[in-house]
Amino acid sequence: MLVKTIALLGHKDHGKSTLIGNMLMLTGAATKVRIREAQEYSKRLHKDFEPAFILDSFAEERLNEMTIDTTRAEIKYKNLAFAFIDVPGHEELIKNMISGASYGEVALLLVSVKKDEGIRDQTKRHLFISRMLGIDKLIVAVNKMDTVGYDRQAFEKVREELAGFTAKMGFEKSNVHFVPISAYRGDNLVKRSPRMRWYQGKPLIDILYDAAKGKGRFQRGELRMITQGVIPGDAEEHVVGRIVSGSIRSGEKVSVLPQGLTVKVVGIMVKGKRVKSGNVGENVALQLDRNLEGELRGSVITGIEHKPKVTDLVRLKIFVTSRFGKSMSVKFNGIDIVCKSVKVLHEIDVTTGETRGTKNARPLGAVEADVRLARKVPVENYDTTRELGRFVLYSDGRFAGIGTIGN
Amino acid sequence: MIAQDLKTLEERSIYIIREAKLKFKNIAALWSMGKDSTTMLALTRKAFLGKIPFPIIYIDNSIDFPETYAFRDQLSKKWGFKVITAKSKIKPDSVGSACCGQNKPEALKEVMQEYGFDALIVSIRRDEHGIRAKERYMSPRDKRFRWNYKNQPAELWDDYSSKLDAKGHVRVHPLLDFNEIDIWRYVKQERIPVNPLYFSRNGFRYRSLGCLHCTVPLKSDAKNVDDIIKELEVTKQEEREGRSMDKEKEYVMARLRSLGYL
Repeated sequence: MLVKTIALLGHKDHGKSTLIGNMLMLTGAATKVRIREAQEYSKRLHKDFEPAFILDSFAEERLNEMTIDTTRAEIKYKNLAFAFIDVPGHEELIKNMISGASYGEVALLLVSVKKDEGIRDQTKRHLFISRMLGIDKLIVAVNKMDTVGYDRQAFEKVREELAGFTAKMGFEKSNVHFVPISAYRGDNLVKRSPRMRWYQGKPLIDILYDAAKGKGRFQRGELRMITQGVIPGDAEEHVVGRIVSGSIRSGEKVSVLPQGLTVKVVGIMVKGKRVKSGNVGENVALQLDRNLEGELRGSVITGIEHKPKVTDLVRLKIFVTSRFGKSMSVKFNGIDIVCKSVKVLHEIDVTTGETRGTKNARPLGAVEADVRLARKVPVENYDTTRELGRFVLYSDGRFAGIGTIGN
Repeated sequence: MIAQDLKTLEERSIYIIREAKLKFKNIAALWSMGKDSTTMLALTRKAFLGKIPFPIIYIDNSIDFPETYAFRDQLSKKWGFKVITAKSKIKPDSVGSACCGQNKPEALKEVMQEYGFDALIVSIRRDEHGIRAKERYMSPRDKRFRWNYKNQPAELWDDYSSKLDAKGHVRVHPLLDFNEIDIWRYVKQERIPVNPLYFSRNGFRYRSLGCLHCTVPLKSDAKNVDDIIKELEVTKQEEREGRSMDKEKEYVMARLRSLGYL
């Protein structure tokens, strides 16, 4: 069964864990043990049954009613399975949010319709990050409709405001859907709610299905294989790595970048078996016509034509999670590279998507910057080959942000 | 239970196992002889051209089932890998968390120190427990084996950034995304040998294997791998219901993992 990953976004307390807990219950996916555990804990905390406890497993999560770290829950529907990644909504846990959301193919954003909750900066920040991560399908579930008497106007107000923002962020209108729900009461989750007859659309689960059933991300045909290193074989050493685009044939001449070497592929092994060709998504072991000198991690094997650019200067859009210190570095395809300089060109307002005149890399904000690396790397636009257009930034060894080229 | 695409799972595991071997200087893998860690060995052979290029640690508490010991000897001979046996000092009367929570980590700590391993492959899966769902593919442990689950490293875009702190090690979890049913489907597809205790005898079988003291069989007529797959397609029971340790307290798992339990 094909499992589609859904990144669950939204401000804290807007009901993400409650939604998934209830979806697990309503679709029969929650096991008895998990339900019993959640019941017992709800009782102990003198609460009505709290579906969120089916997901939030850390003691601290239940006591403080917040998700600390990302988790995964699976629901079967028709011929698909959804794997929901529940991420923490707290600002200080943005690192965990990004980690979780990076696996998402579709984003499900929860926004509370309550007056004192509503659309927050964090809501918009999550949308900004998911666009950076390359997620292009978005479902906005306007939650807690039960607290406003299932009022249509309240829903429309949130929809109008967010529709404008998602368009600015670059989401296509046809890829954005809105649905009014009550995660706690189960309205419009798996079937249309009789309490919101004015809503003519599908329930959430069908909207998710429609968004997820399409094909995965298109991978252009050019060969891009990222190397992990060299392992010994019976006689010859093998270069191992993963093909992230295109395919490779035995007998073919290929380029190794950034080294700039041309070599011939003598043999290809996939899962311990000799094969004639390796294809996109596969981990391969290559026997080449000569042994390559030096460390072979994070290099890229490509065809001898249509090669990516090799450079030590990259212009990145960066979402900043932590202040930039003196000692900056990036992770790029498994290797650490020191940054000789990070020159911020301008700030980007994550709540509007607009450029600002200031040049500060503020935590929870975004910038565009020119980054000079201590070594050359093969790069492409993130939208062309994701693996060659994305960098994880570290400041004094601490996670400091994510950067992409040209999206 | 949801059956996932095996090829996707297999490729991810191979990638992570290779990444771990190439990233760390001195890696070992933990083998309990259960279905999961035996699957991990099969995947390691695929990643390294038929070989298992690191030592395999087995924690022997001397009260495993006789079938389990026989299985160890057969498979290590057949696949030609080195087993390091870590003897735990089990007390005859200890059960549950007092046993698994103290004995096994202590034995493992000694072996890790003796050999100086900086990384350890462990075959846990997210669907085993809510706490395990929170794990990273590569997860650092400090020198006392503690898991700082409130501040885990970022892990995105295949950046497994876990770094070692002094004298700590990194746990590597290549099977994190497998569901229980996927393990059995993979066992079937690859004809991976498994411990006979998983199959039903007299109407009962072991679904999860611990030691003699705290593992109880569950009602089942599944006599072979196909039967088990069918059983898991419809079951509402949790995998570890036959493991007494899990029932003791809802947070025992979080506590144990933060203390270094596997």
